[in-house]
Formats: sequence, structure tokens, C-alpha cells
Amino acid sequence: MKTTKFACIIMLAISILSCSSDDVNNDNITGTGVLTVEFDNAYNDSDLLLETSVYSAVDTEKIWISDVKYIVSNIRLEDEDGEVYTVPKNESYFIVNESDENSLFIDLSDVPAGNYKKITFGLGVDQEKYLEGATGQGDFLSKAEEAGMMWSWQAGYKFFVYEGLYTSATTTTETAFAFHMGSHGTALDNYKEITLDMPTTARVRTDISPVVHIVSDLSQVLDGSTQFKLDDAPQIHVDAVKSPQIASNVSGMFMVHHVHN
Amino acid sequence: MKKIGLIITLFGVLWSCSEDTYVPVEPQDLVFETPANFPGLKYDLSANPLTDMGFELGKKLFYEGKLSSSGIISCGFCHEQSSGFTHHGHTISHGENGLEGFRNTQPIQNLAYFDEFTWDGAAIHLDLQPIIPITAEVEMNETMPSVLEKLRNSSEYPELFNRAFGTPEINSERLLKALSQFMVMMVSSNSKYDKVVRQEENTEFTALEAEGYRVFNNKCASCHTGDLFSDQSYRNNGIPYNRKHPEEEGRKRVSGYVSDFYKFKVPSLRNIEKTFPYMHDGRFGSLQAVLDFYSDGMVENGGEVDASLIKEDGTLGIDLSSQDKEAIIAFLLTLTDYEFLEDERFSEY
Repeated sequence: MKTTKFACIIMLAISILSCSSDDVNNDNITGTGVLTVEFDNAYNDSDLLLETSVYSAVDTEKIWISDVKYIVSNIRLEDEDGEVYTVPKNESYFIVNESDENSLFIDLSDVPAGNYKKITFGLGVDQEKYLEGATGQGDFLSKAEEAGMMWSWQAGYKFFVYEGLYTSATTTTETAFAFHMGSHGTALDNYKEITLDMPTTARVRTDISPVVHIVSDLSQVLDGSTQFKLDDAPQIHVDAVKSPQIASNVSGMFMVHHVHN
Repeated sequence: MKKIGLIITLFGVLWSCSEDTYVPVEPQDLVFETPANFPGLKYDLSANPLTDMGFELGKKLFYEGKLSSSGIISCGFCHEQSSGFTHHGHTISHGENGLEGFRNTQPIQNLAYFDEFTWDGAAIHLDLQPIIPITAEVEMNETMPSVLEKLRNSSEYPELFNRAFGTPEINSERLLKALSQFMVMMVSSNSKYDKVVRQEENTEFTALEAEGYRVFNNKCASCHTGDLFSDQSYRNNGIPYNRKHPEEEGRKRVSGYVSDFYKFKVPSLRNIEKTFPYMHDGRFGSLQAVLDFYSDGMVENGGEVDASLIKEDGTLGIDLSSQDKEAIIAFLLTLTDYEFLEDERFSEY
């Protein structure tokens, strides 16, 4: 125990020291580097496993999850001095798909060297992007369609897809559930931006490529600021009341767990 | 010896062909003029400048079966020029695998002056509208990546994209822009009505048409507004609920608002003579039937009937005498634009 404490103190000292030496060198930070944003889907304290585990939801409901997909967009990074780096808009749309390992890591290149302490990103596609027409969508349209993130009856993106099976005290046979959330034409904008503080700074340098490890706790989707019982509505697609509530729950499920430098 | 001559000639032809492929062809800008009686353009031409090559590519794509899963159903399959780019005589249209949707094909005309599309506003940019019919199972039943792959593998499209956009690359942005260029150019503005209001060629309404125009302005123009004949709003016109299509919710399908149940976009009335049958489900076969509905057929349909269609005594409908109807129909027929319906620039052949 004593040695652990001692080690902690030394670690702390080193980190403080390294911080302060950074401060001294702040003016000398130049060039650009790569910052990776990792989306690590979880369920409460556990890693989220598709088509394997059964998780507890609201009341007696149990869910088995087959699909978790969402659109992450418009990423911005804020450094210690409050300076904001905005990823170029036309390169800032991504699909995070739990069944596609590569999609869980978003590499941002050409990030100016600096010590970043906050990250902001959008969940979904903003109206501005829609209204740019074909110019604005670029190849993202095809990517979204391949990932099943486009509606076929509406020329729009699904921002969030959550599907699987569930049972409850009253629903004893496995029953499909599906939440698809997106904007409702021009009638209802469900795009939301999320800003997260980082527990330690992400120090981008020409030779340091930090990873911002974000944990997305999917249990929040059904059991967030609004509680959803699947027995009440196992399928929610376009609903003027519930879709914005899903958007709020989803935007509340993220936290930066740690940063690797 | 003859054979060698032939082979040499053939070589020459092949040679020049392959050379041709790499000679950049400079697309010529197309001039887009807004008719004097039209409102301002909604489509942003600066993001997609119109050129002859872009337009020609868009036209070819519009009539291209490869946009559908079977290779047969093109946009033009349901949008026939002689019917104002609607599906002649069809209440609703049939798509791939004989599947049917639940809505009547809408005309394609003057779309550059609109900012939302389809009966319920499911597309909020003209460029994005074609995604719906291409990917809908009951229409063309395809996917954008698959369509792009088919076009890339074709012998002619890489060159056509090269001409239109400067490189042979085929992507969704270019595909949609080309289709938009074709649709933007599809302007119907030379009906008898237009010539009367623009005072061209000494055109005048007949007495009956003039009376119809007067009644129309009093009783119809609050929704069928201006020279597009639509205020582009979504309204519930008290059309009886159609039990054949229980999936139909009107604008509610897009907005999610219960209050939008059975609301539909106010359609333009241009070329209305040719775009029958009428209403979102094509239930009415004639203009007379439509006007009879407005005078006597409106009912509560599960949604909120538009306030403008509720009379002072609380009953639904528009007061129209049989003379009013005859006159309105005479006026509506002046909206037929034969120049547009026969314009070879938009024709398949």
C-alpha cells in the first residue's frame, strides 16, 4: 500500500512537472498532428456486446441488442486557452457502427498542435448540411446508405439506430424493438451538439497522437432523462414528442473516460 | 489488301475514339431565365451551375432504367411528359416487383421555385429528392451505391460524367446534381394563362375563362396562390379517409405531429388538364369530380380540416354553383402549356 501511495505521488509529481514544462514550451508548439476520437459503446458499467448479452432496461424489461449506430458530426476541439479548432465541415461527418470496429475510431488529421481540454460534436446531421443539397452531402450520402442510416421514404438521415429484441413481465416472447431517430424534414430539428470536458488534456503534437476515449452508455437511451418502456412503444421512428426525447437521452450518454497521450 | 485497308481504317477509328475520350470537352453554360410573372428562384444555381453537358447527362439519367433494381423502371416510367410528367391515368403507381405505393405521381415542373418536395415534404432540397424514388422498395428499389456501381461499369457514363464535370468520376453528388440540372430546366411558363398575364401575342381569355379566373381568385387562390398556383403549405382539405391505404398519414409521416395527419402539400395546378387523376391518392378522375368534392364532398377525416375550408355555420366546403365550376374548369384549361408538354429538350426520344 505504501509503495502504491509513493508511486502515486511520484506520478503526480511527474505529471505536474511535465505540465509545467509544457506551459513553458507552449509558445513553441507548432505544426499539426493526429487526434483520434474513440467511441466505446457500453451498457452501464459493462462493455456493450451485440447479439450476446441480455441487459436490464426499465422495470422488468430485458433487452438483447443487435444494432447500435449513430452519426457523429461537426467536431470541434477547444484548447486550454479557449482557442477552438473546427474540423473542416465537409470532412466532419462519421458513422459510428458497433458492428464495424474501424468505425469506432475517428482519426482527425491536421489538428493544430495544442493541449485540448474540451470536445464538441453533433449527433446527427444539421439542417445547414441538408440545405447544401448534393454539394453538402458529398460521398457521405452513399456511406450513410451503405450503413443503413438513410430512410428510403424520406430524403434524410437516421441519426441514431438502436435495434434488438426485448422481453418483460408482460411480454414473455422475444419481441423486436427499434428506435430510429432523425430530423423530421423542416418540421422538427433533432440534431443536437454535445460538449464534453476531458479529464486530462489531449496533447496533440507532430509526434504525439492522442486518443480521446469516449464511453457511450447505451443504457441511457431507454433510461435517461426520459424513461422509455418498450411495452408502451417498441417501435419509435418519427414521433414529434418521443423523437426529441430520444435525442436528449442519446446526447446524454457520452463521457470522456480518459485520454491517451 | 482490302482487308488490310479495312483494318487500318478500323485502327484509325479506334485510335481517334480512344483519343476522344481524353479530349476535354468544355461544357457550355445554360441560360436560365425566370419568367416575368414568376416569383424568385429557390434553387441555388451557384452550387450547381447549369451546363449543356450537365443537363444532357441529367436527361439521360432521368430516362435511365439502371437507376432501378430490374434495370427497367426509370424516372420517366412514372413521369411521362405528355401527362405533365405524371403517370398517365394511374391513381397510384406500380414500381419494382409489381409493388404499389400509396400516392399519386406528382408532376415535374417549376421545381426550382419550390423548396420542399413530394406530397408531405419528405425532401427538403431538390438535389436530395431523387433518393426517395430510387431507394423506395415500391418504386425503383435500388441503393445509391449500387446505382453508382452500375454507372461506373457502363461503357458510356464515365465519359458523360467527364463531359459534365471535368473528370470521369461518378459519385452521388454528381449524379444528383445532373438530375437537378435537368429538373431545374423543366419550367412550364407558356400556357395561355401566362400569355394573358404577360400580355403576349394579344392573347385574351374568353368570357367564360375570365369568369373562371375571377371565381378562382375568390375561392381557390388563397391556397393555390400566385403564378405557381401553390402557396407551398401543407393542408388537410377534408378529403374522406382512404381505407385502402391505412399507412397514409399525410404530412404527419414526416413531421411526427398528430396535427399534421392527412395534411398534404397544396399542389400546383399547372397542366392540371393533363395530370389526372387528382388528389394525393389519385381518387378523382376529372376536374368536375374535384370541384364537386370541394362543394359537397368534404368530411372530417381524422385530422384537422383546414380552417379556410370551414364555413361560417361550421359545415365544410366551398360554395360553388354549377356555373362557377364550369367557369373554373374553363380557366384551369388555360394552364395547359403545350410548349412544355411537347418540348423536345425534355423528351425521351
